[in-house]
Amino acid sequence: MFLDVTLNLLQNFLITLKLFGLTLLFSLPLGLIISFGSMSKFLPLKYIVKVFVWIIRGTPLMLQLIVFYFGPGLVVSMFEAEGVNNGFVDLMRTLNMADPLVTAVIAFVINYACYFSEIYRGGIESIQIGQYEAGYVLGMTKTQIFFKVVLLQVVKRIVPPMSNEIITLVKDTSLARTITVYEIIWAAQDYVRNDGLLWPLFYTGVFYLAFSGILTLLFGFVEKKLNFYRG
Amino acid sequence: MAILEVKNLYKCFGKTEVLKGINFSLEKGEVLAIIGSSGGGKTTLLRCLNFLETADKGKISVDGKVIFDGDEHKKISDEEIRKNRLHFGLVFQQFNLFPQYTALKNVTLAPNLLKVDTPENIDASARKLLDRVGLSDKVDNYPCELSGGQQQRVAIARALALNPDILCFDEPTSALDPELTGEVLRVIKDLKNHNSTMLIVTHEMEFAKKVADKVIFMADGIIEEMGTPSEVFDNPKSDKTKAFLNKSFEVF
Repeated sequence: MFLDVTLNLLQNFLITLKLFGLTLLFSLPLGLIISFGSMSKFLPLKYIVKVFVWIIRGTPLMLQLIVFYFGPGLVVSMFEAEGVNNGFVDLMRTLNMADPLVTAVIAFVINYACYFSEIYRGGIESIQIGQYEAGYVLGMTKTQIFFKVVLLQVVKRIVPPMSNEIITLVKDTSLARTITVYEIIWAAQDYVRNDGLLWPLFYTGVFYLAFSGILTLLFGFVEKKLNFYRG
Repeated sequence: MAILEVKNLYKCFGKTEVLKGINFSLEKGEVLAIIGSSGGGKTTLLRCLNFLETADKGKISVDGKVIFDGDEHKKISDEEIRKNRLHFGLVFQQFNLFPQYTALKNVTLAPNLLKVDTPENIDASARKLLDRVGLSDKVDNYPCELSGGQQQRVAIARALALNPDILCFDEPTSALDPELTGEVLRVIKDLKNHNSTMLIVTHEMEFAKKVADKVIFMADGIIEEMGTPSEVFDNPKSDKTKAFLNKSFEVF
């Protein structure tokens, strides 16, 4: 029984990991783009981005999941009632038909990208102006300065807050069940419902702990690797 | 012909006028020391020459070529600014070395990015430069492993790596412990012996007196006095210069 439960939970933990991995893959770069937007000297863009980040960070992720899950269907039926059909409606139709996991990934990516963007911004703005000026007087372009001078220093500074956020993501994935993504906690609840067993539900904690333990070690390793210089 | 000619340079930040018509020129191989109390516009002048600030009015020419003209109201492209900057090197008060790179990589980074030569040649000449500033045994050290004086010498080597026509120093020893200033000043003196054209903003009066060919005393955004070290230090004409020099030397 124990082995069966373990294997079954492990299998469903893979869904959790998939959601986790895909979210990171897309939200890390998207967050950087959003952070550039929030630091833009073009004020309309800056404020649009800031309001967007405020909305995403200011509402529950669970609510965002629900909006992304039900929203497209509502929009489609609204437009169909009006007899409107265009690219936007098509897009909404596609989203409505999408696998719930895809919907969950989209919502998670947007949510986490906003949090990451603020961490990036903090890191980028903490770099002394002298680093940029040293690059300028050596004839470097802005892009060269960002990638060759600033980026690694930013990475070093943001590893601790990033690890925090990423470990939160591991556990936040369980929210995806509200939009019917079958994952580890749901699988454990089925044991409660079908077999009257409570312990598998508690047992799921071990999977989360093991995975966040691995991540903690990984981040510790990265921090140590980046400790080859100070400053 | 003068290698550097600055004509009627103005710069203000908001309502504060920091440079109010600066005129001077510099011959090739000359060393110019700029002295004066803080807030007099010395650093702003250097920053305008290096295009870290854009002057409001005036002209800057290098080797007879106008690289900045405040009367031409067209915007200079980033590309052009970068090219113009390369006439100057700048050594900062706070060194501003890149902390994640070794001393050697700090020196080779920009030449490699600008592709001024093959990587092998860049590497070789960077090692030569570090040797020249007395750091041949520190090429593989990170800035955090170096003393302030050593860091500043790496910064000098880094600025020299691009062969600037004019090397500018912005208070190069102000952030250093007194016992470390000597090693940096010796390097600058050695550069003078190799005929480098230099513009040095400094509070080291004795050093300015010994090394400079020409001294400018700046106060409140204007050049209050200009001349040879003996003219400015020994026979200052303006009252402001006299007052400043009295204050500077009375500690001794």
